[in-house]
Amino acid sequence: MYATETALTGGSTRVSSWMTEATSDNDNARWSVMMAAAQQGDEQAYRALLGELAEVIKRYMISRFGYYDQVEDCVQECLLAIHRARRSYDPKRPFKPWLFAIVRHKAVDSFRGQRRHQASSLDLASEEELAISSQEMEDQLTQGQLIAALSPDYREAITLTKIIGLSSAEAAARLDISEGTLKVRVHRAIGRLKSMLEAEHHE
Amino acid sequence: MSDTDKLIDRLSTGLEQARPLPNIDLMAIVWLLASALYVVAIIHLTGPIRPGAWDQLVTTPRYLIEMIFGLAAIVFVSLAAFRAAVPGAVSKGFARWGLALTAIWIGSYVVGLEYPTLEPSMLGKRHSCFHETLIYSIPPMIAGFIIVRRLYPLRPITTALGFSLAAGMLPALYMQIACMYSPDHILQFHILPAAMVGLIGAAAAWPLLRARL
Repeated sequence: MYATETALTGGSTRVSSWMTEATSDNDNARWSVMMAAAQQGDEQAYRALLGELAEVIKRYMISRFGYYDQVEDCVQECLLAIHRARRSYDPKRPFKPWLFAIVRHKAVDSFRGQRRHQASSLDLASEEELAISSQEMEDQLTQGQLIAALSPDYREAITLTKIIGLSSAEAAARLDISEGTLKVRVHRAIGRLKSMLEAEHHE
Repeated sequence: MSDTDKLIDRLSTGLEQARPLPNIDLMAIVWLLASALYVVAIIHLTGPIRPGAWDQLVTTPRYLIEMIFGLAAIVFVSLAAFRAAVPGAVSKGFARWGLALTAIWIGSYVVGLEYPTLEPSMLGKRHSCFHETLIYSIPPMIAGFIIVRRLYPLRPITTALGFSLAAGMLPALYMQIACMYSPDHILQFHILPAAMVGLIGAAAAWPLLRARL
């Protein structure tokens, strides 16, 4: 049984005050112990661990990509992946590289996978409403370090297709470029995001 | 209660034990040793090895070095492939070592086309060495899939390409002792099927591994 409930309570408080990359060695060791307990079937430790990680992952996503609607979905995807992968974690190894390898992978996956999630509502929206929505969205996204680091062409392409949810044809028409060009920009933007995430890891 | 909280509740309620697997490097070494023993045994069981091949290892240092590079390439490629099945366990630098050693090993036969290590000869030729290399690689490749399916390869195609290539390189390397020595024959009949096994493994990764992520 995982016996450090007080540490868990303290940990939850601390989660809200630090950025993901600044997690201390203590957190790393504590998560490792919690996951080891979870591997033995300790529900309480696992629940506490996932609760903390959900916060950490959310902060990680927002700091990199800005706030967008799918952050919560991506956090849930990460939690599911952590659950499926939990057997692969070796308690003798540090926890953070294992965790963030999964999170990075799911973050990129989430950008690859988002398609027309808002299309039904946007189909009915006027051009003006869409323009406002797009601008607000972009403002929120550019708070994310990695999205902000993309070139304007790539950032627009990603925002319109993967965040706002326009089809390739709609986004291409909006940007006044061909659909082929738009698809290339989106593909390259995702590749660039992936490279930046991996570069962070190797720094 | 948010959707995330509900998910956490669902995942943690009735949590089953999930014993961690043994150290990934240990698993890779065990797979490699078992595969190597199997390959050596089956090659000896299915035909004689080239007369004088062991003596050549002692008398021709370049031949020995060639074999050592091949073995080192297999070890690095195997370790990198299995580590890649555990999130965050493999570094790019380590994987590059595997690629570099493989390139040096294959490169030595390309150089050998012009400056052969041993006098090219038909002595010891095995008539089905291409098919032997291909077929003998399959059980280690299947074993690799069985092991990796229990893990969590974030890049399933690269992972499967790695251990399948290593599975192919094992008989390909031992054929340099068991079969005739001639660089063009080695490249065409030993190394080409090994590369094909790597590609077969990569192709099989999508249905066998990707669906589990």
